[in-house]
Amino acid sequence: MSNIEKEARKKIRRAAINKNWTLFKQSRLGIVGLGIVLFFAFLAVLQPILFLTGVWNEGVYDPVVGYEPERFELLVVECPQQYPTEKYQEPNDCPARGEVNKVLVFDPSVSVGDYYETSLQPAPPSSKHILGTDSLGRDIFSQLMEGSQVAFLLGLLSATVGVALSTILGSIAAFFGGRVDAYLMRQSDLVLMLPFLPLLFIISAFVELKVWHLAVVLGILGGLGGSVITIKSAALQVKVKPFVDSARITGGSRMRILFSHILPNVAPLALLFMVFSVTGAIASESVLSFLGLLNIDMSWGLMIYLSQTDGYIFSGLKYWWLILPAGLSVTFLAGGFYLVGRGLDEVFNPRLRDR
Amino acid sequence: MDENILEVKNLNMHYETISGDVAAVKDITFHVKKGESFGLVGESGCGKTSVAMSLVQLQADNAKISSGSITLDGQELIGLSENELRSVRWDGISIVFQGAMNAWNPVIKIGEQIREAIREHYPNNTKLQNIEKIKELFEMVGLSETIIDRFPHELSGGMKQRAVIALALSCNPKLVIADEPTTALDVVIQDQILNEIKKVQDLLGLSLIYISHDIAVIAEMTERMAVMYAGRIVESGPTKDIFANPRHSYTRALLESTPSVVGDKVKLNSLDGEPPSLIDEEFGCSFSPRCSNPTENCKSGKSEMGLIEVAEDHFADKCCVECG
Amino acid sequence: MAKYLINRALQMFLVFFIFLTSSYLLFNAMPGNAFQSLLLNPNLPPDAYEKTLALYGLDKPLFERLQLYIINFFKGDFGYSYIYFPKSPVELIAERLPRTLMLFSIVNIFAFYTGFLVGKILAWRRGSKSETWITITSVFSYTVFYPWFALLMLYFFGLKLGWLPIGKFLYPEKWYDAPFDSDVIFVNMIWFTVIITLVQFIAYVLTRNIESISIRRNLRFTSFVLILIGSYFYWGTGEALVRRPYAADIAYHMILPVFTVTLLAFAGTALLTRTTMMEVLKEDYILTARAKGLSQKRIRDRHAARTALLPVVTSFIFTIVTIIDGSVLTEQIFSWPGMGQLILQAVLREDIPVAMATFSFLGIFALVAHFLADISYAYLDPRIRIKSQG
Repeated sequence: MSNIEKEARKKIRRAAINKNWTLFKQSRLGIVGLGIVLFFAFLAVLQPILFLTGVWNEGVYDPVVGYEPERFELLVVECPQQYPTEKYQEPNDCPARGEVNKVLVFDPSVSVGDYYETSLQPAPPSSKHILGTDSLGRDIFSQLMEGSQVAFLLGLLSATVGVALSTILGSIAAFFGGRVDAYLMRQSDLVLMLPFLPLLFIISAFVELKVWHLAVVLGILGGLGGSVITIKSAALQVKVKPFVDSARITGGSRMRILFSHILPNVAPLALLFMVFSVTGAIASESVLSFLGLLNIDMSWGLMIYLSQTDGYIFSGLKYWWLILPAGLSVTFLAGGFYLVGRGLDEVFNPRLRDR
Repeated sequence: MDENILEVKNLNMHYETISGDVAAVKDITFHVKKGESFGLVGESGCGKTSVAMSLVQLQADNAKISSGSITLDGQELIGLSENELRSVRWDGISIVFQGAMNAWNPVIKIGEQIREAIREHYPNNTKLQNIEKIKELFEMVGLSETIIDRFPHELSGGMKQRAVIALALSCNPKLVIADEPTTALDVVIQDQILNEIKKVQDLLGLSLIYISHDIAVIAEMTERMAVMYAGRIVESGPTKDIFANPRHSYTRALLESTPSVVGDKVKLNSLDGEPPSLIDEEFGCSFSPRCSNPTENCKSGKSEMGLIEVAEDHFADKCCVECG
Repeated sequence: MAKYLINRALQMFLVFFIFLTSSYLLFNAMPGNAFQSLLLNPNLPPDAYEKTLALYGLDKPLFERLQLYIINFFKGDFGYSYIYFPKSPVELIAERLPRTLMLFSIVNIFAFYTGFLVGKILAWRRGSKSETWITITSVFSYTVFYPWFALLMLYFFGLKLGWLPIGKFLYPEKWYDAPFDSDVIFVNMIWFTVIITLVQFIAYVLTRNIESISIRRNLRFTSFVLILIGSYFYWGTGEALVRRPYAADIAYHMILPVFTVTLLAFAGTALLTRTTMMEVLKEDYILTARAKGLSQKRIRDRHAARTALLPVVTSFIFTIVTIIDGSVLTEQIFSWPGMGQLILQAVLREDIPVAMATFSFLGIFALVAHFLADISYAYLDPRIRIKSQG
């Protein structure tokens, strides 16, 4: 009997998953988002594999301490005093790619027009470093992979913490009502009142913020704030459904009703929140690293921070490999999660569907 | 009097869903005479509302009318542009929705919602004229004038339903469709509303299509009627004739399952089984699985479905007529 | 209603009190204090550090200081800034606030308006090609890495094209012999903006009930033109004529930050409006409106958008705090010396009186905003309005 029941349950579950997947596939942008997320997940997993299998030498490719003195043959030129000249439009154009300024070559035997062999940092993309190296000669592609590990760890961890908190508190607020509700609502008011960035400044002053510390802090702040209010209103709608009453009449304990009737019914909304809050967490981490507040070895925000402090970001697209990959990664991964969330929204919310 | 205000010929409509096309309206043909009330009856999901929505072409976005023709007072409606349809809506055909449901926008006053309909079709009216008109309508359906400045949620279900009738009449439509207007109301109010509709119809000489799952209401309200099953009309004709002499076994089953208030208590015959899925290809008579005495021809699909005239102005599905 | 308001006010006060206490404790939990740099200066007498601490009362135990601070706070005494010594936090806020207010009120008006418009169109054109592209753009601008994008904008418009100034909120050389303070101009500009917005709003409300659509549109257009003419005369006469070039200088510096932040901030509103609108469009009364033969535009603007406006407005007010929060970053990038920079400096240099004052200012602001959100929700939705009366 129980075997048959198990079979039947399995079947129902499988059918539900199939149906939801079909619905999810309907939203093309959701699939695009899923593709982006999977791509970055692949990057995150690929890096340790490359190190372990020995394809990449840790001394060269390590995102933090790797270094390779790559030799380049550069044409020695003299930068003119006044712009524009025939060759250069503005000061930024000199030296152009493959050239080096005479002033910077500390070798009296070299003169203008010679070729001079030197190591180049930051080096443009080559077959060895497919996205080039940064101003310390470290491989950008490897940094990107490390950054995506950080982003996933932080985004998923903080979203899980935050959503677990807000789902449980929101359900409790809706279920018990009265003073418990008033207390929880004022608490979320309190959290919403605190300015977020300055608060993190303060926290980073007396706690050394590592990735998972930050994830937990972000999760708690997010979980106590506005999302409790949203989850509560969803749980209130579940609370008045007939099946909750029938559970009460048949003598279900409060905890049982809360955990087996109300929580599962707000779970889809919570999942949605989780996906969306990953977007927020990734952005927050990048902003904090960008401001230099995190005690972290490598992340996308840090890459941009470095390219900004070294002044490359105002050199336009001449050093694009220092500026674009990290910035676009943050944008795309956050956007990917957002699109997945939107796709899920259409699965769970029949009123958003086309058909 | 004998002129047809509405003629529907061979109308086909289907919904495109992720699990396939659902043929909701199949080969429907009927007509409504001027000043007459016409009933459309059938169980839930048989396509009654789909027919009504196709008449004004307000079907859901995924619904497609594949063929057929709808003529309102000599004007062909299929193939009209959205703008042309807009002038047909409410001015030509108006609908009495289920007012207890969300037919009213919760954040706009009742009077304003009626006024904007009049304004759309009579742009030269002044505000005062429009308000006079609304007051007139409210008096007709038995509502007080103060309702004009009320929000929908301040009204009871019955009042909302009366206001919906007033809304439907606001632009002097040629044809009114009443789509289950009493379903969500209790019996007393239901009766009041039905009387109201009847009274208004007599007063204004309205042409009316009355849609319901309740065959008793149809008997009370209409002069001619059609019975729908699984997207098809299986029997149509004068209401009296159909009640006196039902020719299709589904009509008979419907009649047998309705209690009569007068007379002895008799055991009601309920109809077993479920209506067929509208996604599957039709094979023979769609009613044959639930029919009490189906013939081999019905089941095997040797006879196709289609209406034939069995008496004057009384049509029924041919395969069922043939078998019983 | 009165009981609700009193109850709500009491709760707000209690929350604020807890907020005040916990922020004070947080600031004091930070290691070190604002005067530690004195220890590094070998030319000062060795007891200078202790003396300074005693002067500012920092040698007292924490609990006593907290008590003193809170009592003084409710007396209206916020102390003196540690780093800008003779100035009080209120003076500092009064100086910085207009700058932030000017920038962000304009950004918010633009962002909310375009966001709502774009969201409306997105929901309406469901499934079309343009919807996909607008969605992709909105999602990009919603999730783009903000400082990175802002820096690229600065590079492109400031350096590469050279159209707009990089950073700062005015050209100092231009203001060298200006007869007045920049804050005077800021306040002047804020009043000007508020008044023209109000006039436009009143014109909108007055014309709301006009029956004919074309007359209404013409009247609204006329009011817009009148406002333009009126502001031309205002800036062309008397005192304002003298102020005009300076105001223009500030306005010129504002273009890039306003443009950048609007570009990023509109997306949140747009995406939320889209979702809400789409839910509303499935309602039965939209079908009624279509059956009535109303024009598409009227259904969209009057029936769908008005109902969808409620949750969008509420969430917008709730995010106002987030927006001020964002000002920390924005002002840092565009070197705009407003509230955000004040908070940042106060926190980083442990200027506790200023930090506390700015935090509590933001806290009060947030509380009032949330309260207003509740009220406006009740006003805009007649269903709730009735409930709170009864």
